[in-house]
Amino acid sequence: MAKKLKTAKRTAKKVSSRAAMSVATNVDKTAKQRVAAITSAPLAVVESDKDMQAMLAVLGNTDEPIAVRLAALQALQAASFSVVAFESGRGDYVATLRKVATDPDPELRQRVLGILMRDKDGFAQKKLLDGLKDPAKALVPPEKALQLLSYDVHTDAYEIARDIVKKPPNDDAKREALRLLAADAKAAPIFEKVLRDKKELRANRQIAAAALHSLDPGKLQQQARKILLDKSDYDDIKATSLVALQQFGDDEALGKDKALLKSVKGFSGGKTQAKYKQTARQFLSKYSP
Amino acid sequence: MPGATTERVLSEPQFAALVDALAADPERRKELVGLLREDHPHYRQRGAATIVRMRGWVLLAIARGEVADDALIFILEELDTGVDPYLVAAAARALRSVPRPTAALAPFVMRALGNIRYRDEPIAFENYGEYAVSPTGTSAVSELLVTLRWLGPHARGILPELEPLRAPNGGLPRKLRIDVERAVQAIRGPAPGDEHGTHSCCGTTSNGVKSISSWPSNSRRSTERIESITLQDHKGELITFKEFFQGQPSIVVFFYTRCDNPMKCSLTVAKLARVQKLLEAQGMVDRVHTAAITYDPAFDLPERLRIYGQDRGVRMDAGHRMLRVIEDNDVLRRHFELGVNFIESLVNRHRIEVYILDAEGRIAGSFERIHWDEGQVVTRAVEMLKEKECGSRIQA
Repeated sequence: MAKKLKTAKRTAKKVSSRAAMSVATNVDKTAKQRVAAITSAPLAVVESDKDMQAMLAVLGNTDEPIAVRLAALQALQAASFSVVAFESGRGDYVATLRKVATDPDPELRQRVLGILMRDKDGFAQKKLLDGLKDPAKALVPPEKALQLLSYDVHTDAYEIARDIVKKPPNDDAKREALRLLAADAKAAPIFEKVLRDKKELRANRQIAAAALHSLDPGKLQQQARKILLDKSDYDDIKATSLVALQQFGDDEALGKDKALLKSVKGFSGGKTQAKYKQTARQFLSKYSP
Repeated sequence: MPGATTERVLSEPQFAALVDALAADPERRKELVGLLREDHPHYRQRGAATIVRMRGWVLLAIARGEVADDALIFILEELDTGVDPYLVAAAARALRSVPRPTAALAPFVMRALGNIRYRDEPIAFENYGEYAVSPTGTSAVSELLVTLRWLGPHARGILPELEPLRAPNGGLPRKLRIDVERAVQAIRGPAPGDEHGTHSCCGTTSNGVKSISSWPSNSRRSTERIESITLQDHKGELITFKEFFQGQPSIVVFFYTRCDNPMKCSLTVAKLARVQKLLEAQGMVDRVHTAAITYDPAFDLPERLRIYGQDRGVRMDAGHRMLRVIEDNDVLRRHFELGVNFIESLVNRHRIEVYILDAEGRIAGSFERIHWDEGQVVTRAVEMLKEKECGSRIQA
């Protein structure tokens, strides 16, 4: 009985998937109906080659409504996590993704390039790098290209990221260039400089602190101390410095550092925001004699 | 370009033109193998994806003529541990230019099939740097199946692994299942008259490819230049090369924590843990040192080394350490002639390499490129122990 029930459920599910796919690929249905059908049976594409090919055709067809194409992409991407079941369609999927990477629709392009870059696809990397070197060839904004390229630490993007830090087309691009460079130990001096530069955007200084912590914790400790001794530096940066010292600093040395403790005491009062005062007080309670 | 000295950095199109020129010149074809060395200057400051394109083009050029033994090890390496479909496909194609197919080659092709089947993608070989945007044409799995067909009856040993792939629910696309069927039929053909059997001993395949090297005592490189190099271990302790590696034999592997090929560094360090267990079982763990040295000392700080080793079951104590070089990493790299290159501080490509050092810290043996056997490595290290003991007895 249980076996019959299981078989019946399986059959019902298959019928339901087939019905959903039938709606999904029916150009006479509204985009809304088709998207709903695709999302109702997301794994249908791994159940039959025919459905897989149909979804790929929808994705690759620039005449299809963009909402339907995006839904097809989402379904295919979800199905690709079932690596074994997806095997038979993977080659066609990658080919379609590469084709769609240069699609007229910017959102679709960006999502597809993101999927390809998570797989460290050489085609996608080359396209993104070409776009950074020549804006006329750019498929996504520079900050997005850098973000996607950072998915692979072995990328060719370090040189161009350094150039963008020196001469950014916009603030977002500089921020993403810094994030990308956080994988390169040779970039530690850049992060030291950014961290200490009070004219630098605070978000970038926070990125620099995180990067230095990963690449050269000793340098972060040094800079954190300097920041805390600098009365004119910003509260949030001081708070980050406190946390860095407290969690990773030399406890004995910190306990003996009178100048530092005096400065933190000053930070714990006055006009400092309440949340940062608390951080300072925690530091003092740990290290003050 | 043809005939020019080629140590300067070339653009990718220039590199491709150089490769084509070498391939077309019978007097210079042999230079192609040199372009597959990871430490070749042409690979400096290149990203991994660029190196894939470059190396793939070299393999394809090699495939256009007869493959010599010194090229074969690079092809087998790619099949053994490669995870990039373009390179695996190029290697599979190149293998078909080996003058004599033998049974020893089949396991490599089958292993490659297992490694790549869930990462496969369409491949284009017509022009340098081309990426397929259409599913027609070839792929890594397709090339591997054609190579199995080429091996024919020499591949009988892998038939039990291959046959299940014919099934409709075997996972492969229908068009490739046809290729599987063709390969199976070819393999079931009449047995060859000159079967060379499987791997012979000492890391030499029956095609004459060597992945294991040994140096007799009187020819081992002096450690004078590296003795004073300071290394830092997984606990942050500093020790010189001489202090750790002299006085007893050692087994040294190279790795880095950001390696994204699970067949290389992760597996190498996990195997080092198994080597340590074998040494323990033989009562040798206190008489032979082991070390894993990172290619990426700027990033692989002590905490990272410790966690990486711990996660792979590595024993870590005074005689067994995860290490990074503090200064003069280039000197150590040159001493070992490491197969590695970099983009900025990051490794862009490296080979598998394990070294056996004698009691004076000199390189006595190496296991390179293809997977090494833990038992063989231990045996070699124990030989160094006996060599040391014989030397002591003679001196006494």
